[in-house]
Amino acid sequence: MNSVGEACTELKREYDTCFNRWFAEKFLKGDRSGDPCTESFRKYQRCVQAAIKEKEIPIDGVDFMGPNKDNDRR
Amino acid sequence: MKIWTSEHIFNHPWEMVIKAAMQKYPNPMNPSVVGVDVLDRKIDTQGCLHSKRLLSTEWGLPSIVKSLVGNARTYTYVQEQSVIDPKEQTFELQSSNITFTNMVSVDEKLTYKPHPEDPEKTILTQEAIISVKGVSLSSYLEGVMASTISTNAGKAEVFIAIANRKKRREMITVMLGQ
Repeated sequence: MNSVGEACTELKREYDTCFNRWFAEKFLKGDRSGDPCTESFRKYQRCVQAAIKEKEIPIDGVDFMGPNKDNDRR
Repeated sequence: MKIWTSEHIFNHPWEMVIKAAMQKYPNPMNPSVVGVDVLDRKIDTQGCLHSKRLLSTEWGLPSIVKSLVGNARTYTYVQEQSVIDPKEQTFELQSSNITFTNMVSVDEKLTYKPHPEDPEKTILTQEAIISVKGVSLSSYLEGVMASTISTNAGKAEVFIAIANRKKRREMITVMLGQ
């Protein structure tokens, strides 16, 4: 699966591999010990955010109080 | 405006379905999703995992059209928020398109939970609200879109097979079974 930014696909794969392993082996089993993926996520994000800006994709602000339904549609 | 709901039962426990759902794309049963990116991920104080993702979907236009207008104008982008509660065993996702919003609005909500009568099964409830704007054939178009979503929901079980690349025997069982 590709990233929205073609140059970010490899970084995305690295992060996904790390996350899927942590998710299955730690998170779902109730293990809250450190997230090993923060560094790979950071590198991946720098690339993705640049691609989003370049393609002018209208992302909403981050909202982590729950799913964001306050979309302003006209 | 069209509201469509459906329910699907997976013959697998919740944990297994969730692991597969997290790796749902690429999915040959839904090839219109061509890109998936995680924009943010956090664990809250209750231990729930919140994720925000961007999905790039393609309309399947002929390549000559794409070469004339460029990929950015032929992709639709969808923003998805999700929450996984590993203690309560719920996985909820909500998504909306963030481009072409002046023409169409597709809001989907999915919930995965263990089946209330059988912990070896998982139940997926899916809702979609679709509005096509400013077009006289809007009801017809909404119907077409709802029927596409419904067809894709029926193929939901195949993605478990694809995620479990190492467990070949299980994969064949899943693809043959209901």
